[in-house]
Amino acid sequence: MKPDVRAQILDLAATYPTPQAALLSALQMVQEAEGGRLTTEDLSDVARLLDVPLGTVYATVSYYTMLNLEPVGKYHLQLDTNISAKLVGALDLLAHIEQALGISAGETTPDGLFTLSTVEDLGACGTCPVLQVNDRYYEKMTAERFDELLTSLKQGVMPDWKTEGNWGTECNILLARRGKPDSTALAGYVADGGYQALEKALTLSPAEIVQMVKDSGLRGRGGAGFPAGVKWSFLPKGSTKPVYLVCNADEGEPGTFKDRQIMEFDPHLLLEGMAVSGYAVGAKQGYIYIRGEFAWIADILERAVAEAREAGKLGNNILGRGVEFDVRVVRGAGAYVCGEETALIESLEGKRGNPRLRPPYPAASGVFGCPTIVNNVETLACVPYIVLEGAEAFSQIGTPNNTGPKLFGVSGHVNKPGVYEFPLGVPLAKILEAAGGVVGNLKAVIVGGLSTQILTADECRDLTMDYDTCAEYGTGLGSGGIIVMNDTVEIPEIALRTIEFYAHESCGQCTPCRQGSTTIKQMLKRVVDGKGSSEDLENVLQLCKTIMGNTLCPMGDAFSMPIEAMLLKYRAEFDSLLPDGSLVR
Amino acid sequence: MSGHLTLDGVAYPFQSGQTVLEVARENGIKIPALCYHRKTGPAGRCRVCIVEVEGQAGLPTSCNLEAKDGMVVYTNTEAVLEVRRSVVNLLLANGEHNCLSCEQNGRCELQDAAYDLGIEIPAFTIIGPEVEIDDSSEMIVNDRRKCIQCGICVAACNNVVVNEVLGMGQRGFDSRIVCDLDVPMAESTCVQCGECVQLCPVGAFIEKKAIGQGRSWELETVDTTCPYCGVGCQLTLHVDTNANRIVRVTGREVVPNDGMLCVKGRFGYEFPSSPNRLTQPLIRKNGELEPVSWEEALDFTAERIKKIVEEHGPDVFSAFGSGRTTNESNYAISKFTRAVIKTNNVDHCART
Ligand SMILES: Cc1cc2nc3c(=O)[nH]c(=O)nc-3n(C[C@H](O)[C@H](O)[C@H](O)COP(=O)(O)O)c2cc1C
Ligand code: SF4
Ligand code: SF4
Ligand code: SF4
Ligand code: FES
Repeated sequence: MKPDVRAQILDLAATYPTPQAALLSALQMVQEAEGGRLTTEDLSDVARLLDVPLGTVYATVSYYTMLNLEPVGKYHLQLDTNISAKLVGALDLLAHIEQALGISAGETTPDGLFTLSTVEDLGACGTCPVLQVNDRYYEKMTAERFDELLTSLKQGVMPDWKTEGNWGTECNILLARRGKPDSTALAGYVADGGYQALEKALTLSPAEIVQMVKDSGLRGRGGAGFPAGVKWSFLPKGSTKPVYLVCNADEGEPGTFKDRQIMEFDPHLLLEGMAVSGYAVGAKQGYIYIRGEFAWIADILERAVAEAREAGKLGNNILGRGVEFDVRVVRGAGAYVCGEETALIESLEGKRGNPRLRPPYPAASGVFGCPTIVNNVETLACVPYIVLEGAEAFSQIGTPNNTGPKLFGVSGHVNKPGVYEFPLGVPLAKILEAAGGVVGNLKAVIVGGLSTQILTADECRDLTMDYDTCAEYGTGLGSGGIIVMNDTVEIPEIALRTIEFYAHESCGQCTPCRQGSTTIKQMLKRVVDGKGSSEDLENVLQLCKTIMGNTLCPMGDAFSMPIEAMLLKYRAEFDSLLPDGSLVR
Repeated sequence: MSGHLTLDGVAYPFQSGQTVLEVARENGIKIPALCYHRKTGPAGRCRVCIVEVEGQAGLPTSCNLEAKDGMVVYTNTEAVLEVRRSVVNLLLANGEHNCLSCEQNGRCELQDAAYDLGIEIPAFTIIGPEVEIDDSSEMIVNDRRKCIQCGICVAACNNVVVNEVLGMGQRGFDSRIVCDLDVPMAESTCVQCGECVQLCPVGAFIEKKAIGQGRSWELETVDTTCPYCGVGCQLTLHVDTNANRIVRVTGREVVPNDGMLCVKGRFGYEFPSSPNRLTQPLIRKNGELEPVSWEEALDFTAERIKKIVEEHGPDVFSAFGSGRTTNESNYAISKFTRAVIKTNNVDHCART
């Protein structure tokens, strides 16, 4: 191990209550320093350095897709083939890339220059197809652009292509600064009135802020829609342990690419939200756990943190008022489940991202066994507005019980896929209109990220987008990731691709999810390949029924609900794939 | 909060902090629980221990469900059985669950669960890659094809015996038990303590030497104390009485070892039936060892000791006690040396 890397790891380990907490970061650092791959010797070195058993090191390293035990080429090309990407031609692009490189996905060119992999959702559904090359994203990829990219890579140059995604805002709260030049700099943020909410917050008591957030009706934007202020009030009173505030920036749900808009273009909005929230819940340390693939966004955040600290907006004496709160950016390493809050906490502690058995809940025992609040990026980014403009102003946006602005990521068959900010309760039709309208004839929409139930064109015609209405319609607002499908789409294929994703991402701890997702995957594969039977379809339904609500974490629901809905609503399409004569109903 | 809870219509008392599963087990009510062991704690992984609780939505897992006063629990409702059957079927969907040839036959928790649920032929089949068996180590075979990923062995190796060898590698359906950095067990830091073997609920960790030597119901069990050292671990010998041979040894979950054993106690059990074992006293006569009676042997020894001490004084004598004998014998050795021979030259193998 290189001495400077070693020193860095030890420095990092010293900042945690246990050295093991630095394990994941240490593995990432060593991998980067050693040319993109971890050897047995690297693993032993890290194990010894952090005093972690070898078996635990292996368990951790083999869990994360971004940690490589096998050698990879100089350029690791990773193509997102999840549903949003598939809808806009990712598989054709894959064929093109395979031909251009002369290898199949999963292989490395003989010269060791390129490794090609297909990967799950990269959080770029509005700008796909997306190709990740090492730690950089190349979005809105086409065959032509790929050829250009390849020429450049062959010359040893990773081009610095910026891709502007579509966006729009009616609320001007979360995306207010999206179009500004250099929107990530502190100076601009302050010039636009930034950090005034923090100023104001420090004149209030923490309890007053918690009350404000409660009164605002702000519901968590990570998917479940749990009221943020209520969650904060679950923290044990009078605990002597430190409290942690964790920002969930894992953004891995297929169809979702909203949090990155805030972090990439207005990082101080998030940091201010965290500082205010941290003060409100009594935390001195905050973590932003960001998915590892968003490396450049993590860099932006780290720069913003440094700038904010420098300017006294973070640190041990915020705004000179003796308040302490600092933020650290922690990078994930490729695991969708790490978006689940207890898996995230495990990962923050340097371990495999296995969700924890509840109780205890994080508010009672989270990071390092201490009281912890986990909130989504968008949730925290709403907090400055609430503090500055008041709970009343916030709750006037949207509809009763569904207050505030919401980011909707629209992908798939629309003319202008992108992120659009509207008040909650906005008609779906209006969002689709903002996204340039549907390409072709609308067939179905998944409105809240892949884990929510699909709606047919008829069902969603009059849908308004808020938590309660979506629930009434038998689906969920989820993360607000809207996947639009026109009538060229065959639902059985979408169902298969859905379960492939979840089977790939299951942590494997609990039986129904680990075994069930793979069983359903194989049964649907048979059906899609024309080799299935109606018994397979009945078995899928039976499994969905028994898996729902019966897994260790909500992941079992996340696939059994959408798969069941697809099968029930589009049964005829599945049946039509069964071999002749096998249909007995 | 202690109190009473109702299990399938009968009220039982419980102590504060007990789980529903613990209360059920204490009272002889069977709830299958594949990933729970008292020593490793609730893991919530297998999902077969679900129950129905009046006034509570869903089917909570009983292994981590805290007993509450007045709680009304049903362990076998149709809703419970439907999910449990589905879960056990999923566990049987892949791997090699062939009870005909399995060493765990008759003491397998998966087999019991399937039997109780009336599962004859697994409902699903998952086609997966061949999974390897690790039979590299001297005493233990890890047949990963039978593993149900309950995680008990990993928790036991790391947190109970703290030998820190095992890990759960990869994730999802590809998860599998590994030693150290995924090396064969023989090349790993495993000390062959066998705790993983003892706690594995299925036949995925088994004693190599016991393979084919008899099924659980053919063996007689004898509880005894380990003869190797002074800790006095409690163990059970599983004996083939026809062949008068010990087939396997398991630790008893009592003081002082709570089921844990070391490699000698668990696997060094051949000596009682070794042909090289001394079964009667021998005296070397004319350069040859000859069998003699106990009387002759003791007389001879006493005479020689007496003579040597008389000629050279007591300090030429020294005695070493052994951890393999009882406390009482060791006390007698000490007393004999000091009070009879009158020297302080007495020591013990367990002193270092
Ligand atoms: C499988 C799974 C993945 C999740 N992924 C995310 C995620 O990427 N981002 C997120 O904010 N919440 C995610 N969640 C929800 C979190 O567990 C948690 O509820 C959320 O971060 C709480 O924040 P909020 O109350 O502000 O919404 C996920 C949940 C599950 C079950
Ligand atoms: S449902 Fe179970 S296996 Fe699936 S991700 Fe959650 S804990 Fe892991
Ligand atoms: S025999 Fe003991 S040390 Fe070896 S893997 Fe099993 S529990 Fe761990
Ligand atoms: S080997 Fe046995 S104890 Fe270990 S996870 Fe598999 S079934 Fe459980
Ligand atoms: S014993 Fe309760 S989930 Fe396995």
